[in-house]
Amino acid sequence: MTSPRPLSRRAALAAGAAAAALPLVHIRTAAAAGKLTIAFWDHWVPGANDVMTKLVNEWSAKTKTECTIDFVTSVGNKNLLTIAAEAQAKTGHDINAFPTWEVHNNAQLLEPMDDVVKRLSAKYGEMSPIVEYLSKIDGSYRAMPSISGSQNKPPCARIDIFKEKVGMDLQSIFPAAPQMGPGYDQWTWDAFLAAADKCAKAGFPFGMPMGQFTDAVDWVGSVFHAYGAELVNAKGDITVNSDQVKQVMEWFKKLVPSLPEDVWSWDDASNNRALISGKSALIMNPPSAWAVAVRDNPTVGEKCWTFPPPAGPKGRFEAYLPYFWGVWNFSQNKTAAKELIEWLSEREQAERLCTASHGYDIPPFQSMSDFKVWAEEKPPLGTVYNYPMRPAHHSVASIAAQPAPPDVAVQIYNQATMTKMISKMATGGQTIDQAIAWAQTELEGFTR
Amino acid sequence: MADGSIAAAPSMPGVASYAPPGGLHRLMRRRSTIAFLMALPLIAIIVLLVVYPTLYAIYLSMLNKRMTKFVGLGNFVFLLGRPTFQAVIFQSVLFAVSAVVLKAGIGFALAHFMHNIPSRRQRILRGLLLIPWVVPLAMSTLGWWWLFDPSYSAFNWVLNAFGAPSVPWLGQTWWARFSVILVNVWYGAPFFMIMYLAALKSVPEQLYEAAAIDGASAIQKLFFITLPMMRNIISITVLFSLIVTFANFDIVRILTNGGPQDSTHLFSTYAFQVGIQSGDIPLGASVSLFMLPILAVFAFFILRGVNRRTKEQMG
Amino acid sequence: MSVTTATAPLAAPVRRPRSLRAERRWALYGSYVALGFFVIFFLIPPFHMFMTSLKTSAEISSESGNPWLVAHPTLSNYIELILAPNFQTFFWNSTKITVCVVVITMVISVLAAFSLARMKFWGSQTLATGVFLTYLVPESLLFIPMFQIIGALGLTNNAWAMVLLYPTLSVPFCTWIMIGYFASIPKELDEAALIDGASWFQMLTQIFIPVAMPGIIAATIFAFTVSWGTFLYPMAYLFSSNQMVLTVGIVSDLIRADVFQWGKIMAGSLMAAAPPVIIYAFLMDYYIAGLTAGATKG
Repeated sequence: MTSPRPLSRRAALAAGAAAAALPLVHIRTAAAAGKLTIAFWDHWVPGANDVMTKLVNEWSAKTKTECTIDFVTSVGNKNLLTIAAEAQAKTGHDINAFPTWEVHNNAQLLEPMDDVVKRLSAKYGEMSPIVEYLSKIDGSYRAMPSISGSQNKPPCARIDIFKEKVGMDLQSIFPAAPQMGPGYDQWTWDAFLAAADKCAKAGFPFGMPMGQFTDAVDWVGSVFHAYGAELVNAKGDITVNSDQVKQVMEWFKKLVPSLPEDVWSWDDASNNRALISGKSALIMNPPSAWAVAVRDNPTVGEKCWTFPPPAGPKGRFEAYLPYFWGVWNFSQNKTAAKELIEWLSEREQAERLCTASHGYDIPPFQSMSDFKVWAEEKPPLGTVYNYPMRPAHHSVASIAAQPAPPDVAVQIYNQATMTKMISKMATGGQTIDQAIAWAQTELEGFTR
Repeated sequence: MADGSIAAAPSMPGVASYAPPGGLHRLMRRRSTIAFLMALPLIAIIVLLVVYPTLYAIYLSMLNKRMTKFVGLGNFVFLLGRPTFQAVIFQSVLFAVSAVVLKAGIGFALAHFMHNIPSRRQRILRGLLLIPWVVPLAMSTLGWWWLFDPSYSAFNWVLNAFGAPSVPWLGQTWWARFSVILVNVWYGAPFFMIMYLAALKSVPEQLYEAAAIDGASAIQKLFFITLPMMRNIISITVLFSLIVTFANFDIVRILTNGGPQDSTHLFSTYAFQVGIQSGDIPLGASVSLFMLPILAVFAFFILRGVNRRTKEQMG
Repeated sequence: MSVTTATAPLAAPVRRPRSLRAERRWALYGSYVALGFFVIFFLIPPFHMFMTSLKTSAEISSESGNPWLVAHPTLSNYIELILAPNFQTFFWNSTKITVCVVVITMVISVLAAFSLARMKFWGSQTLATGVFLTYLVPESLLFIPMFQIIGALGLTNNAWAMVLLYPTLSVPFCTWIMIGYFASIPKELDEAALIDGASWFQMLTQIFIPVAMPGIIAATIFAFTVSWGTFLYPMAYLFSSNQMVLTVGIVSDLIRADVFQWGKIMAGSLMAAAPPVIIYAFLMDYYIAGLTAGATKG
């Protein structure tokens, strides 16, 4: 199934209820390999949860393990609450889906997964260095990146507006083909700035959030990386007062006038709404916005195109937001849990998951970026071909605040230090130096 | 006043004189045991589900980030030095005080207006005006959020129709603060209205008539009759509302999540951000506990005043 | 008091009625206008929610048209929700939990209030005043230490955990209301009953409860409203769809990642608001009488 069907809420709810309510009981033979309770991320794409359930059923039948699945939503940080609860109570699901920074937050309670990581890497190649940054603590991997929920945030823009107002033919510069088109190397953050200005003047400003939610922090973080600007370096020193930071702040100063006035308070759905309503020419988001546009506002939806982000002086960085599958060390059935995680990460299962999510999910291995789903989703055909990072993109995965020590980075991320700095400069009337000085005090607090 | 007027005791000796002397002793003893047993479920709930977790939370707030070391008041000292937290204090006080003042004022005014109209009409209006308080807060906050949405705000649509520019309801610091307070006032004013309406009803009409005959103006009646008679109920409702408004979580969390650059953060939402989201639960606990001593002192003084006035009134 | 002077001047009242009536008429109209204004202010959001709930997703997303009116009304949001097993489960869970919590709350509150208002034991005065102060510790703080308690009891992700937790929110206020109400019942009734040889229990059930019925109804309604609408505790402790209550269920099910289904959210919210509104419609008079009398009796 290539294009998203009109969402049948009833069917999705029914299936979800059935999946969540029934413990998955399987062949109860004497050789039952124990029980497993799993909490997966509640996927927003209808039908994705069902495919996950089916996969687990298959594995469960093969290995004669009794599995119970819960789908826990990230709305309202419900999954964070669940993880915190289980960590405090030392009881809960064997496998949990850990959002980006939670592996670090709970490292002491997570079972090492080095063997799983090693075996999978031997088969499928290396994973992004971000995975190591986020999940390798005290020398061992504490979790395996999950497929379900992991996402990129590349630009998604209107083909028609870019052609008319900016003079860029997105489909020819970023074609749905193994090689990028002519003009790819000219797609820099300065070109982005020029395009933003033109679109704003034409009445279709870019929908770039500058608030405290992850959509904002992720894209701003990738720009910081593109300019080599680090707030805190890998050793833990505060390096916010540097030329690169000043340079990137200058860039943002030039961008802000082209953005809508209220981007400072946008939540994660605001940029979606800006694109779907037709008001915005470009957003940086996974395909959820495009998918809903296709359903609700097809004249907009069928003119969207996803393509790699611009490049800066230090490279082309794309925001990557991984989830992780981890096992508590107080789990009663760690072997089965690790087996399941390893099995789900294999190519065949990964492909089924990505296809079920209509290409939203991103597997951690570069070698898996060639699944058919991204080439086949439409309208327009090829719209998400460039959503996963492909070799021709020459891009690097980025997570905001990297390479700061993760327990500092998580604070920079959650408290949105970067966007706050920018807002102080852009709307708070402060100079770049004053904003940097403010950030310095904030960071000193984080590194205590 | 609702403070348990333990002036109930005086009645007992009167009854006791009718009961056989030996039974008096037994009766008294039995009475306090029974009393204690009847109050036991309440005490159990409070001790097990409020006092114990509070003590544990206090203990948590005195640990370091990884929960391995005891740091005493270190978290609190650290917080007081942080500009963001200082702003949170300011914002919480601003939010709570202005919201409570507005709610009390609007409730008071509405109660007066209600009091003026005939009783039959009152029923319908009372019902309609209670609706904000009856709808689950989480749901109505979602409704407000949709009204404030940057792209689809119905309010902005109206403004634009009149040629006025769109307002960034949740996008700019002071507008966001205004919106959050607005929702809280919308939600809480009916409570005040109801409480004050009944209190108004219990003020004897003769006082007003007598004052009118003496030539008192409406303002004078308000200040010299209405307000003094209602002093207790005003104190209690303001105290209750202050406590509950300071602890508010749902509204800010759903509308602004702390707002543009942390400018609408309250203690509870900021605690969530630094505690659960950033993985420093002891720090989150410290933020939440911060207001506790101040509010407790405040509550103590107000309740003492109310008790004293009640005792005076009852003679 | 100036009551005595009210009877003195007879000449004055003759001149008063006309200007008094005019004054009263102005006050009446002014009151209606002011009340009307506030009615509009209070009802704007529910009205808008209602209108949105009648729209399809496409109509909501498109920016044409009047957000205050529906161009193509549809009941599909309501129908789909009512037929959705998830939503039915939420409704049933909410009902089940709320009924239990209300019963538990009233039993505890009435017993405790009777004890604190009428009988004495060491610390009862402090308790009566202090019961109020349990609200000083906010839910947003308590839920973290409670993880341990709930976990130890094995009640994580179990709707019955709510039955344990909700009373902490409703019992203190209900007790306080009942104390005020019981305290206002004349002591002569007590004495008469005791003379007749009634036990404390009989006094409670046959005298106090019937006389204080408005207060009891008021407290019941308060407990109902609080249990029905609580958000944070179920958010923290329930994560399976089949355990969730309405408030959390609507948010969790109808908001997925960054995709909001506003039409359904509004429809669900209004349906979630219906039971309290209906109850208030029927019992409002009692509620208001009870709430206020209990609080203001002095």
